[in-house]
Amino acid sequence: MFGAGAMTNSIPEIRDADLLFVIGSNTTEAHPIIAMEMKRAVRRGAKLIVADPREIWLTRIADLHLQLRPGTDVWLLNAMAHVIVGEGLVDEAFISAHTEGFEAVAETVRDYPPEEAERVTGVPAAAIREAARLYATTRKAGIYYTLGITEHSHGTDNVYALANLVLMTGHLGVRSAGMNPLRGQNNVQGANDAGASPVFYPGYQPVEDEGVRRKFEEAWGVPLSAKNGLNLNAMMAALAAGRLKGLYVMGEDIVLSEPNAGKVEQGLNQCEFLVVQDIFMTETARFADVVLPAACFAEKDGVFTNSDRRVQRVRKAVPPPGQARADWEIICDLARAAGYPMPDYAGPAEVYAEMARLSPKFAGISHERIEAEGGLQWPCPTADHPGTPTLHEGGPLRGKAIFQPVNYRPSAELPDPEYPLLLSTGRTLYHYNAATQTRRDAGPVLRQPHNFVEMHRRDARRLGLEDGERVVVASRRGRIEAHVCVSPRVRPGCVWMPFHFAESPTNRLTNDAGDAVTGTGEYKVCAVRVEKLSGAPASAC
Amino acid sequence: MSEAFRIRIDGREVEARPGETVLAAAARAGIEVPTLCQDERLDPMGSCRMCLVEVEGQRRLQPACAWRVEPGQAVTTQSERVDRHRRLLLELYLADHTPPREPNAPESEVLALARRYGAERRLDPVEAPREGREDPNPYITFDPGQCILCARCVRYCDEVEGVNAITLAGRGARTTIATAAQIGLLESTCELCGGCIDTCPTGALREKKPASLPVVQETRAVRTTCNFCGVGCQLDLHVAGDRVVRVGSPPPGTTVNDGNLCVKGRFAYDFIHHPDRLQTPLVRGRDGALREASWEEALARAAEGLLAVKERHDADALGFISSSRCTVEENYLVQKLARAAFGTNNCHQCAAT
Repeated sequence: MFGAGAMTNSIPEIRDADLLFVIGSNTTEAHPIIAMEMKRAVRRGAKLIVADPREIWLTRIADLHLQLRPGTDVWLLNAMAHVIVGEGLVDEAFISAHTEGFEAVAETVRDYPPEEAERVTGVPAAAIREAARLYATTRKAGIYYTLGITEHSHGTDNVYALANLVLMTGHLGVRSAGMNPLRGQNNVQGANDAGASPVFYPGYQPVEDEGVRRKFEEAWGVPLSAKNGLNLNAMMAALAAGRLKGLYVMGEDIVLSEPNAGKVEQGLNQCEFLVVQDIFMTETARFADVVLPAACFAEKDGVFTNSDRRVQRVRKAVPPPGQARADWEIICDLARAAGYPMPDYAGPAEVYAEMARLSPKFAGISHERIEAEGGLQWPCPTADHPGTPTLHEGGPLRGKAIFQPVNYRPSAELPDPEYPLLLSTGRTLYHYNAATQTRRDAGPVLRQPHNFVEMHRRDARRLGLEDGERVVVASRRGRIEAHVCVSPRVRPGCVWMPFHFAESPTNRLTNDAGDAVTGTGEYKVCAVRVEKLSGAPASAC
Repeated sequence: MSEAFRIRIDGREVEARPGETVLAAAARAGIEVPTLCQDERLDPMGSCRMCLVEVEGQRRLQPACAWRVEPGQAVTTQSERVDRHRRLLLELYLADHTPPREPNAPESEVLALARRYGAERRLDPVEAPREGREDPNPYITFDPGQCILCARCVRYCDEVEGVNAITLAGRGARTTIATAAQIGLLESTCELCGGCIDTCPTGALREKKPASLPVVQETRAVRTTCNFCGVGCQLDLHVAGDRVVRVGSPPPGTTVNDGNLCVKGRFAYDFIHHPDRLQTPLVRGRDGALREASWEEALARAAEGLLAVKERHDADALGFISSSRCTVEENYLVQKLARAAFGTNNCHQCAAT
């Protein structure tokens, strides 16, 4: 859109912002240290606008909380754009110098007046107007978002709608502003950068580009497939449909983490051959034909790339347990066992050097430089380049940034009389994903011992449920048991669950309807029903 | 920004910026002023009096952490008068400060300063030592006897973490650090980030977890990157023998996390040495159960199994799921494995959103 899939700005810039627009990010729980920077900015006097269906912690210090209905982000964001265009708050100089396609967006958002938006999103029109004016008229105004934006069947539309706001107000290439996806895991950014993608080689070089493919064929000494691969969501669908027959899984518990877990399990059951490489016996590993024991982060060398494109070292502190080995060693040996002559790398530094040689974005980064200088932020094209804390300074990387008009599309599955509640899922502060790590530690277990479903007291009363009571949560795809947590944090009609608990796997409920572009599952919206579990004892949530 | 000007510190010409403190100007010039209640992440409080310096034209000593510089000002950070003040001040603190209970505890900031200024335990101890009861949380312990009430922990909890779980409670000699309603930390708004431990200059706030381990004389610190969320916090893994026994944060101002960590990064490391860790390759036997195998056998089985699928169907009947928890190098190698060794672009990391 602007030319790079990453945070445009840097984490240390947050403290100097004059406005933070946080949407679809429960930052204090999912990114606690970034949240500290946000709190610091607010203490300094920055305005904070939070858009989230739940009353998350940040709303306590926010100037505005736009408590939208889950899945109505495009309506909210287009209505903000409607106000900005209608009131002449756009940055005309930036639009004409650095962008293309503004007219089409201006035309589209005309159909999104705040009063209509109020009806769809539940956010008062006055609050939408105020948020739009504040955002448009503050120079150092940054947008921060996470999976609340992307985990929808229209996640890409949500991102486009945000980008349109950034571009029409010229909030790009400005310190403490920009558009900032906060990455959920330590090396999401780095895994994308390294080409763990069905459509990109390392450094975002397209698989379908013949010149790129020739370069990699020459470097790796074999002919390569010219056909784009399947994304993860499509792989899961192909597995369930019997088209994908063999699977290698490194470091992910797909049974707990992918949406519609029942379908994932069905796929794994009919899979002809499964290799799992992990540090614990995960739910997925139970299906495997071969299980390879791997080293954890404290037991190997390498780099992680964080949300603000910062490449930082991971260092071996202790040896792996028993016969476990570093993933990079296992992968090289597996390739050799399959007849491919993987080079005899002396260590991860040489692997990184090979990737950097083939990827202009990281060509100037090496383990040696990181040792000497600390973390380096890409783009870093040459060995004497200092790295890039703020992207797009002096204009978008790709020359002209492109506006993308988007229209609202409802989520794939919405509540109905049979499944009347809207379920969103997410992470909590105390656990991490499938919780194979955090459930082996006392603090998280004491704070959150079991799965729960957050519910507004009005819904609890209507269903005759007490706080702490065990219930069944059911969707069209599965049923699980959990404890009711009556909470003012959620909207009436909406419930919320974490997905950290193997014995109560929330992703049996979620919808695997994927985003058309990225394949990301619709974890944030599906329809469920909550049923009383007669005779079960209650306990606090 | 308005223009810089010059002041004199200890006879040296030093550049200063309007509105900054003596401490900040001195630090930039490489002149160290001792402090106890100061933490660069917090608003200056000026309560510990350790940083008092002579300011020209001022009859009384002034706190360097709070005194704003003015053009042409002359400041003396080291003199007989200042040293005498610091020694006496530290002796007053020692009178209200019990020695650490463990023989292996690292030297705290307050004890290091006492040694430097030759302060001794010669004043009579305070009569009514502060009392505290053990908090049942699994991570953080507080010894009121070692606390000097600098309130760095309380201010950190308020200004940085923003949860206000702890406060200065009680009055006079009985003042202590506690939760507002005398409840346990687990019942309070505390999020167990442990930032109070890192900022504490006395060792009154400590971690519970290493206490349960054998006495260790020497540990080494290994700087690395946290493996949980995408912030990229830098961590120091403290290693004794072959075990990680503690996780600390690098000092404020040096890394992207500015000295801060969360409950997961600081405390959730027990998984590393957990007995449930996979330690041996496993292959599925004829009986349908997983059994232990050598690396050679497991790798051969894995390669043969995947190649057989490719032969029976085609390369695109294979899928490779990579991990956003693993390193960049490992992700590079997985996509190379999929593309170069097996001939498919069906390769995706687990969290590409």
